[in-house]
Amino acid sequence: MAATMTAAMPASGRSQFLRSLLRRKPVVIGLAVLLLILLLALFGPMLSPYAASKLSLASRLKPPSPEHWLGTDDFGRDVLTRLAVAGRLSLLVGFSVVVVSCVIGVTLGLLAGFFRRLDTPVARLIDAMMAFPDILLAIALVAALGPSVVNVIAALGIVYAPRLARIVRASTLVIRELPYVEAARALGVSTPRIMVRHVLRNLLSPILVQSTFIFASAMLAEAGLSFLGVGVSPSVPTWGTMIAQGRQYLDQASWIMFFPGLAIVCAVLSLQLVGDGLRDLLDPRLSKDI
Amino acid sequence: MIRTISHRLLGMLVVMLLVVTIVFVIVRITPGDPAAVMLGPDATSADIAALRTQLGLDRPLLVQYFQYLADVVRGDFGQSIFLGQPVLRALADRAEPTFFLTLFSLGIAVAIALPIGIYSAYRRGSAFDQSATTVAMLAASIPSFWLGLLMIQFFAVKLGWFPTSGYGGPGASFATRLGHLVLPAFALGIVSSALIIRFTRASMLDVLNDDYVRTARSKGMGEARVILRHALKNAMIPILTIIGLTAALLISGAVVTETVFSLPGVGNLVVNAVLRRDYPVIQGALLVVAGLYVLINFLIDMLYILVDPRVRY
Amino acid sequence: MKHWHKAITLAAAAALSTAAAYAQEPQRGGVIDVATIGEPPTLDPMASTADLVGIVSQNIFETLFTFGTDWKVVPLLAEAMPEISDEGRVYTIKLRQGVTFHDGSAMDSADVLASLQRWQKVASRGQQAAANIASIEAPDAQTIRITLKEPYAPLLSLLAFNNSAAVVLPSENMAVPMEKPVGTGPYMLKERKPDQYIQLARFDAYKGREDASDFYGGARHQYLDEIRFVPVPDPNTRVEGAVAGQFAYADSIPVESVGRLTGDKTEAVTLKPFGWPVFVMNTKEGLLSDVAKRRAVLTALNPEDLLIAGFGTSDFYAVDGSLYPEGYAWNNKEGVEAYGQGDPEKAATALSEAGYDGTTPLRILTSRQYEFHYKMAEVAAEYLKLAGFQVKLDVVDWATLTQRRQDPKAWDIFISHSPFLPEPSLIGVMQDTSPGWWVSEAKTAALKAFNAESDPAKRAELFGAVQKVFYDEVPAFKVGDFNAVAAKSPKLQGVTPAPWPYFWNAYLAK
Repeated sequence: MAATMTAAMPASGRSQFLRSLLRRKPVVIGLAVLLLILLLALFGPMLSPYAASKLSLASRLKPPSPEHWLGTDDFGRDVLTRLAVAGRLSLLVGFSVVVVSCVIGVTLGLLAGFFRRLDTPVARLIDAMMAFPDILLAIALVAALGPSVVNVIAALGIVYAPRLARIVRASTLVIRELPYVEAARALGVSTPRIMVRHVLRNLLSPILVQSTFIFASAMLAEAGLSFLGVGVSPSVPTWGTMIAQGRQYLDQASWIMFFPGLAIVCAVLSLQLVGDGLRDLLDPRLSKDI
Repeated sequence: MIRTISHRLLGMLVVMLLVVTIVFVIVRITPGDPAAVMLGPDATSADIAALRTQLGLDRPLLVQYFQYLADVVRGDFGQSIFLGQPVLRALADRAEPTFFLTLFSLGIAVAIALPIGIYSAYRRGSAFDQSATTVAMLAASIPSFWLGLLMIQFFAVKLGWFPTSGYGGPGASFATRLGHLVLPAFALGIVSSALIIRFTRASMLDVLNDDYVRTARSKGMGEARVILRHALKNAMIPILTIIGLTAALLISGAVVTETVFSLPGVGNLVVNAVLRRDYPVIQGALLVVAGLYVLINFLIDMLYILVDPRVRY
Repeated sequence: MKHWHKAITLAAAAALSTAAAYAQEPQRGGVIDVATIGEPPTLDPMASTADLVGIVSQNIFETLFTFGTDWKVVPLLAEAMPEISDEGRVYTIKLRQGVTFHDGSAMDSADVLASLQRWQKVASRGQQAAANIASIEAPDAQTIRITLKEPYAPLLSLLAFNNSAAVVLPSENMAVPMEKPVGTGPYMLKERKPDQYIQLARFDAYKGREDASDFYGGARHQYLDEIRFVPVPDPNTRVEGAVAGQFAYADSIPVESVGRLTGDKTEAVTLKPFGWPVFVMNTKEGLLSDVAKRRAVLTALNPEDLLIAGFGTSDFYAVDGSLYPEGYAWNNKEGVEAYGQGDPEKAATALSEAGYDGTTPLRILTSRQYEFHYKMAEVAAEYLKLAGFQVKLDVVDWATLTQRRQDPKAWDIFISHSPFLPEPSLIGVMQDTSPGWWVSEAKTAALKAFNAESDPAKRAELFGAVQKVFYDEVPAFKVGDFNAVAAKSPKLQGVTPAPWPYFWNAYLAK
């Protein structure tokens, strides 16, 4: 789908692009919610009267109240404050996974698409990687690398890289045959320069669209790994570890696990709304219908 | 055609080899010593070293790799260190819950998605259509384990309608076992319906604009009949493709869901194997799941070649 | 020790009243499902010290001796207590006649001899005993003679233990790892489906003791037809299953969840006290190889806060520095004044005097296999930070922890727990080779005197000296005492609360 060539975005059309993006209600809602989450994550902990990691065993498992809007957890920590701090990490993990998978995926895809001799081996490697169910591969990778934030990012980055690599490779194969690329080559422009200036620029929109969805998938996967106990260390607050931690108190203190789950749903849904809007705009072939 | 097939076959074998290699590398760089786990907390270093020798864990990695390759080719996936039974046997024992869980969630996903998708396409742009699209996206945004936990709390603990977990225990009847699958299948099915809704809607839209549908309409055929008999029939191929894709995705979902509901399936086995450092089981499960995926893809490729001889490499 | 019965109490008064409603003559027949904390790594009781292995395999296999009330060693496969001669060096053990294995063969001294030899090789407790054993012989078909190098009081306790256990196997079944689980116990293995169940059925040809049941000792009645152990690693799932009546018995319920054990299908069974959580320190390498810094850790930690985080309310823990709580012969107060200060400021002063650079991290290794380990680690980390330590919490899975703690370079503190073992010399830190690697002249001297003494009263006194060295050199931090909670169906009768629950003598009321 997004693998097909997409229209390059003329520089002059950027403001127009933004305007038509913001004309879509779902996109606006998605962006607004994301912005809200981001603000909460960035400034929430500063505004909160509580420290996220300060233990207060006397006030453990307190239900939501005017003092603690979302209640307290089993160490007596304020759930809202932790939710905000955890949000930083959950968003950071999602974003970093996008960066890692872009670096790996785009490099592999470009190499495969541009150098015929590399094409088959890289394509086979992508096939092999994509044969593993993503959570299963992520579990095995995190188990191998050790449970830490950096390793979860690395593992998920590796897991999602083939998705991008595949798209980039397919697009590169098309773009390299385009007349103006051929022309640039005939003019003696070096290959790396062609790859970066002409090919990569044309790839920006499919990469952007795919990145949004990888962001969403990565947040869900991080939560799943943490829940299974094979993700980031449970002492690191992320929305996933908060759910895992609250599971034990499901019927005594359901707020501990309920709110982080809700936060995930909001964040992932917003990302999908935005990604969808982007795709519709950037990929004319895929009209609003899919 | 023979050339094409043999070319594809070779490609598939290369992918399989890569799959085996990836699995081997991942598992061998994993820290944690199965010998230490087997011997319990008070084991001495000498005990552990002795057991490592016995299990062959002390040989050079490359030797272990080629040994492993040879074994895999012979269909020998090794012996589970922890369970003391062949890996294939362990996987086979756990195939049933995973199979039925996947099947039922797929069934639920399709039952939810097809009517919504079809009606959305039919009433394109209506309030129903718009809210259906949003709901589909919402479903895809819910962590399945979180939904599962909420469902356990509400339907199993509060209302007592369904068992909380497990697969019925020793000698449970088939009906009892299926009863244990209701909640997990819904948790997974709801979350997985999103993709099918979107594709059903899209494929139906394509078809509804086609000439023969217009013709059928103009002949005065009832709307329901037009949609179900003509349009759906023609939209079915892309829909079936996406259902197949969803089935593959469900295996990932099953890993987490089985753990939430303590279902003794393949996913649960893998999570436990990671925690137990049971190398052969992790290897075997990854290999079987990925291998099946590669094989099925290859067979579909072959089918296309047979159906349409123009397809060339 | 007289207080043991008082110490073992059924938790809720409500439980007692429902129990009374069902109290009646033991009934024969019925099948129970027992939810365990997971799949045992093996059914060979020699090969593992895991509690879980002991809980399951003690129904299948039997040892020469076992523990009666007050943890007194009593005979099981041995006919009577051994005849001890040559100033405590020679143990002559008569075997019971007519005992058969599950495969139908008769047990004689050749089986016992072969089994004890396997035990000395395979089992860690066997290896510990082997260091003191000169020879084992079978003078005739019903007699075993063990000759020691020098008097060694823990021998009988080691022979009585149910994990890393000196079980008797048929002499033709000595393979390592064990091939067939064939023992002499009241129940035999019928079917094992890993991760699903271990099904045990009554062994009809069982020849048990005829003296009255006495904790693990005496007659073992086979009321139940079948016992099925179902691995349920997730504690919440065990609770939910117990409440729904899926399990007749569910082991190891998190104390936080006791409030959920309501309804008419389940009730809480508390074993009070069960054991002690322990922070083992690395005395061999790294930051804590310096005893002054270990003392600073001890000074900084507030046990009560750790225990609250781990166990919720004081119904389930006791702040207690003695290595054995009241009720045990080993209980004493030697050295405990160093415990329970919870004074990070004092610790900070001591720490800077000890020359801590303020940057080397203190690495705490823990897992979430047991939730209270992890929670204690979180709280301890806060206290240690207040004391000036740079703290690094390594939360890994249990498998990684059991491996990593073998490596002296990898950690400074790891968190574990232990039931109160009937013989103190079996405690992990007492062994020079166990992770932590606590070795010192004072320790060796105190333990040597303790192990060589055979008179129980004198041994109790000598243990005071051992505990004093423990608090002087701080090889570990004992957090306190904690209770174990299990869930039991009111219909299941005749279950004695024990660290390793057993189900012979148990029956289902109609």
